[in-house]
Amino acid sequence: MGSAWVMAGTFLKIFSRDRQSIFFTLFFPITFMAIFGFISAGREDPMKIGVVDGAASAFSAEFITALRANPLFDVTVGEEETLKAQVVEGELSFVLVLPPQFRADDEADEVTLLVDAAQARQTAMLKPLVEQTLLDIERKVRGIEPLFPLTVVDVKARSQRYIDFLIPGLLALTIMQISIGGSGYNIVEYRRKGILKRLFVTPIRPRDFITGIVLARLVITVIQVAFLLAVAVFLLEVPVVGNVLELLILIFVGSAIFLSLGFCMGSIAKTQQAIMLLGNLITLPQIFLSGVFFSVDSMPGVLQPLARVLPLTFVVSGLREVIVNGLSLAEQIPTVLGLAIWLAIGLSLAIRLFRWKEVAA
Amino acid sequence: MAIVKADALVKRYPNPGGKGGHLVAVDGVSLAIEPGEVFGILGPNGAGKTTTLEMLEGLTDIDGGAAWIAGIDVKAEPHKVKEIIGVQLQANEYFDHLTLSDLLRLFSRLFHRANDPMELLRRVQLEDKADAKPAALSGGQKQRFSIASALVNEPRVLFMDEPTTGLDPQAKRNLWKLVEGLNATGMTIVMTTHNMEEAEHLCGRIAIMDHGKIIAEGSPRNLIAQYAPEPPAQRTSGNLEDVFLTLTGHALRE
Repeated sequence: MGSAWVMAGTFLKIFSRDRQSIFFTLFFPITFMAIFGFISAGREDPMKIGVVDGAASAFSAEFITALRANPLFDVTVGEEETLKAQVVEGELSFVLVLPPQFRADDEADEVTLLVDAAQARQTAMLKPLVEQTLLDIERKVRGIEPLFPLTVVDVKARSQRYIDFLIPGLLALTIMQISIGGSGYNIVEYRRKGILKRLFVTPIRPRDFITGIVLARLVITVIQVAFLLAVAVFLLEVPVVGNVLELLILIFVGSAIFLSLGFCMGSIAKTQQAIMLLGNLITLPQIFLSGVFFSVDSMPGVLQPLARVLPLTFVVSGLREVIVNGLSLAEQIPTVLGLAIWLAIGLSLAIRLFRWKEVAA
Repeated sequence: MAIVKADALVKRYPNPGGKGGHLVAVDGVSLAIEPGEVFGILGPNGAGKTTTLEMLEGLTDIDGGAAWIAGIDVKAEPHKVKEIIGVQLQANEYFDHLTLSDLLRLFSRLFHRANDPMELLRRVQLEDKADAKPAALSGGQKQRFSIASALVNEPRVLFMDEPTTGLDPQAKRNLWKLVEGLNATGMTIVMTTHNMEEAEHLCGRIAIMDHGKIIAEGSPRNLIAQYAPEPPAQRTSGNLEDVFLTLTGHALRE
């Protein structure tokens, strides 16, 4: 076991001096965080809407004032045709057309909502929101109390920003890349250069060598993830609501899955080119299919069954539920099961494929 | 009693071309090397020299026969054998980003020893390169460093695989001196080489291998007396290289 610690220390020393590796493992996630952090910087932008004041009455003016006071909306008042064009161009989310007969009584005409139907999902979310706001404003203007006063209390502080959705995905991606790179790619290079042979003329046992790699990679992964998480929390104000211990467990399990898959790849591939191809074959589809950048639910139906069983999908969803939604592992049994199955597959394949003697040959 | 003993060693590899069948890389090699000897293994490429060394070192499985180093059975206790031998390999690449002293410290710790890297570097005249990376060394310096890393456990037997291949005459002579110095401390040395001059200069005894078998063994002088062709009119040849060519033929080996 002593030799395992010696090797772990050595790998950590090598990594700490390997500025290129550190740069490239952090470059990708940091770039994405920077881009999407700026886009969704600070709090949520108010929704840009247009209002056509068809009534031009004191009542409609009062309504528009109330609308402007609502922080959800950024109101532009104008002509119907101009505003409609702006909806088409995507500058406005929707246009509210107040009819000539816009009065606080039963004789009033309908209020029309002009939307871009192509954004159907947004419209579906929009309609209740607009109706509710209109109702609130109507009540205020007419001076009546709602029948069932409703106070909304935010219990979980779940955020809807894209960056909050993205961060756990990027962390999972980083875990995958550090782990596969550290086991698969490195083993092939060490073997090719004769470094493994050089090591195995000393009395080190292969299992100590492997344990050393695993220990070092776990430490590196935790440090890198902690760094990215710190950037997310302090610079991008991403809320981390979950349990830190469970987060750590997820990082370790995810790392162990990809380390063992990396050892499998390193056993199969004999050359640097082969391991690169094999690595891309395994990582690229997962980057796009595992819900890192967009949710698996929004993917084409044919891809979803495959996407849902990929190892990275389980790591992403586990991290996302813990970090953003504050769910405990006990509340996400399917994910935990998926991770356990992949860990079992990875470990048994690695043990089967990895030949100790060939490490040095 | 022999410190390195091999009894009918055999190594088979699966046939690289067709399916089935085996390529016999080492075919019944027996050796008995006494403590304090410098023993050379000569042979054309592909003769099985390196494979023989790797079996003695416990790096490659022994498919047939047996080997003992200082009485320890290599097949049964390869790790015990590794504790008492030093190995200088043909490949000279190491982990990136580690300096010579980092590497020597690493190898020492894998033997559970706390050596002073500077002391080891001094023995191979590399003390001014302690903070250099191996990639920055010249060919001769790389070979000397390789020997330094084989010395971390004060080995009783030092195995060297073509230590002077690719070195210029100065670096070669310098390395010979180093080897002679180590041998003078009582260290047994087993080396492979293509260089006949080297074998003549360093080795007390040599074995010539071809096609996985030892085809001649003895002191360089005896081998010359036995196998060197009759000198022609002017005595221009009659050295160990002639012995080698007489025994293994002139056909080119890949």
